[in-house]
Amino acid sequence: MARALRFRFARDERLKYIAHLDVLRLFERAIKRAALPVAYTQGFNPRQKIVFGLPIAVGLTSSAEYADIEFEEDLSPETFISRINQSLPEGIEVLEAVPIRNMGRIMSLIASARYEIAFSMPEAMAQDELSGIVLDFLDQEDITVMKKTKKGTRPVNIRPLIYSLSARKQDSGGYVMEAFLCAGAENNLRPDLLMQAFSQKTGLELTVESIHRKAMFASDFNEWKSPLEVTDD
Amino acid sequence: MMRVKLDDKLLMQVEKPAKYTGNEWNMVRKDPEAVQVRFAFAFPDDYEIGMSHLGMKILYHTMNKREDTYCERVFAPWVDMERLMRERGIPLYALETYTPLSEFDIVGFTLQYEMSYTNILNMLDLGGIPVLAKDRNESHPFICAGGPCAVNPEPLADFIDFFVIGEGEEVIHEIIDAYKEWKNSGKDRAAFLELVAGIEGVYVPSLYEVVYYDDGTIMDILPKSEKVPDVVRRRIVKDLDQVDFPDDIIVPYIGTVHDRIMLELFRGCIRGCRFCQAGFIYRPVRERSPEKLNELARSSVRKTGYEEISLVSLSTSDYSALPAFCDELLAFTEKERVNLSLPSLRVDNFSLGLMERASKVRKSGLTFAPEAGTQRLRDVINKGVTDEDLKSSVQLAVAGGWNSVKLYFMLGLPTETMEDVDGIADMGISLVESCRGIADKNGGGLQITLSTSCFVPKPFTPFQWEPMDDIETLTEKQHHLKDRIRRRTRKIVYHYHNPRISHMEAVLARGDRRLGKVIYTAWKMGARFDGWDEHFSFERWQEAFRANGLDSAFYANRRRDFSEVLPWDHIDVGVSKEFLIRECRKAYEGDLTRNCASGCSNCGATVYQTGICFKQKRNNEQAGG
Repeated sequence: MARALRFRFARDERLKYIAHLDVLRLFERAIKRAALPVAYTQGFNPRQKIVFGLPIAVGLTSSAEYADIEFEEDLSPETFISRINQSLPEGIEVLEAVPIRNMGRIMSLIASARYEIAFSMPEAMAQDELSGIVLDFLDQEDITVMKKTKKGTRPVNIRPLIYSLSARKQDSGGYVMEAFLCAGAENNLRPDLLMQAFSQKTGLELTVESIHRKAMFASDFNEWKSPLEVTDD
Repeated sequence: MMRVKLDDKLLMQVEKPAKYTGNEWNMVRKDPEAVQVRFAFAFPDDYEIGMSHLGMKILYHTMNKREDTYCERVFAPWVDMERLMRERGIPLYALETYTPLSEFDIVGFTLQYEMSYTNILNMLDLGGIPVLAKDRNESHPFICAGGPCAVNPEPLADFIDFFVIGEGEEVIHEIIDAYKEWKNSGKDRAAFLELVAGIEGVYVPSLYEVVYYDDGTIMDILPKSEKVPDVVRRRIVKDLDQVDFPDDIIVPYIGTVHDRIMLELFRGCIRGCRFCQAGFIYRPVRERSPEKLNELARSSVRKTGYEEISLVSLSTSDYSALPAFCDELLAFTEKERVNLSLPSLRVDNFSLGLMERASKVRKSGLTFAPEAGTQRLRDVINKGVTDEDLKSSVQLAVAGGWNSVKLYFMLGLPTETMEDVDGIADMGISLVESCRGIADKNGGGLQITLSTSCFVPKPFTPFQWEPMDDIETLTEKQHHLKDRIRRRTRKIVYHYHNPRISHMEAVLARGDRRLGKVIYTAWKMGARFDGWDEHFSFERWQEAFRANGLDSAFYANRRRDFSEVLPWDHIDVGVSKEFLIRECRKAYEGDLTRNCASGCSNCGATVYQTGICFKQKRNNEQAGG
């Protein structure tokens, strides 16, 4: 039983076309339908006390999204999971929840994310050749691309934001890029930007078919940990 | 059964792809194979507009309560999506099952706004259905249409198989039953149309012939067979508490224009403002009981999770049980942290207190609709508001902390002179001045947003015979107003409506069935989303008129004689023509007509034997002994 919980949820194909703010609203309404004793902020426009780890882009599926929620009374993780899932639409599901002592730190905790990016190329390429190209790409110290920010477009070196990268050919003929990237409120490398840079720098003509976020991590004393394991701060 | 397949590449290319994927909370799921009637409720505009429409929510719910029927939703795809659908040969489909429009039994369009007419043609075409009714056969769905614009169905006569005039909750059951009867009979398409033509409130345009004089006015409108009525009377629901009202409404994923629970307090309006079509075509006033409304508020919040409830009616202040009802409702919304929004409230001490309690959000804007700038002209339109009323209301609001006010007016009302136009600016300016002392205490002073729309004469109003101001005159009045405001104050922001769109709205509102050709030509030339400034082309419409040898001014800018046969004379909405003529004459005298709550003015709506007409009569009888 706890006043605040951190939870992991997944989003599949069926709900991948809605934007981050829509996901927030979806949760607020599901919480209301479930009549969960969520806590509200004070002030003119009371809002539910729920904070999400990292925005989820339109088109992205994920099996590892995180959020913190606070209640007016103690609630067990099991009760929360079963009640919220009954009120969530198909396509979004809460999978795990753990008690936390301090609410709302999830945003600053998130430090990296693992992605699986499916892509296709007009001409087939052997696994060895593809792996070589990825290694050459990673060998550069400076991979500068133009990044759109709120203040306009500016050049960013994304190389330090790539922690690991590998590509594999699938039996079906398509390709999958496994990417482990810096993520979070301060520095964040979007997987679509990575693929754009990869295509630009290597000259490979490729089409991104789908992007899936497999995991997100918090950095805890130089160790990557699940945000659900970093709760006692 | 065919189902449309959409892929990532397509959806990632369009704006707000969730408009096209359905699967929202409370979407009705049924096995299409297990029902006898498949109905597509089609809204001829964007998803974000259509999903805000209460009528669709009501009929979706009403039809889906039947086990034998599956009602699904269809919206006009935005231009980006339409382009991709046409490129890839994807037909327009319903959001519930992704079934192409052509596979439904009945497709029903709602006519909320004249400028969405071309979208209807476009949606039929995109759905693989012949646009013209005469080109359809037994393999095609029946196309019907209802909603406020259906009171003059004539401009769409070429495209729609049958119209439903009036409120749909009850008549829709009769139509579905008739469809099942017809389907089992194995008869041809014409037989179904004859069958529904016998249902009160249903109008089948192909069963009527319109005869014209040489000057283009109508000589007569004649039924082609004895089986169809000379006049089609609008349907109404006698007792709102007896019909279903949805509490399990669909909750969209993306923001829509009215993304909240809507509680309909009553239908109709007691006021009788002479320009307002809604004030006449929904008579008589019928209220939903406060008990029922409070029950609906509770179950709706539970089933949707919405954080806001809005009260819906033409004039919230006129709900007879408002104070007691709001007390109970507020007790619930405050506890549940639900915002209550109260549109169309007259501003007084009571309503300001109510708004203060209802909405915890910042006191942003209050809206007033004096409609005309001088007392003389407000008397002409029977808008019983005085300068003093408005001044004291605004002062009250400003003193209560509301520092921005919106004022709505119309330009081009019958008998309007430049003095009346000046009056609009002067009213705004005098409000700014009269609030100076009060507003300064709150800091910033009073900000006014003043908007003018162009008056469009509508069928079944006392102004249905009036010429509309031409585009040049309206433009001149707008410029004059803009200039007068700018020279006097910076505290007023002035917005005005595109008079060319209003001109076309006027044409379609009072058009006859010859306009079908014009609409068809305009659509062929690319017209769609005509209500959206960025897609509307006046030149295109004018070319469509020329191509068909017609003149838009004939419809928009011509004064009709009281004796002229109007294109909608075979439709009866309950309000009599004699009453409308009487009201038109009184308008020119500047005579006011009392509202329905203070006494009956014999408009004719008593034929419905319900609502305020009878409540009023009972009260009078009691008072008189």
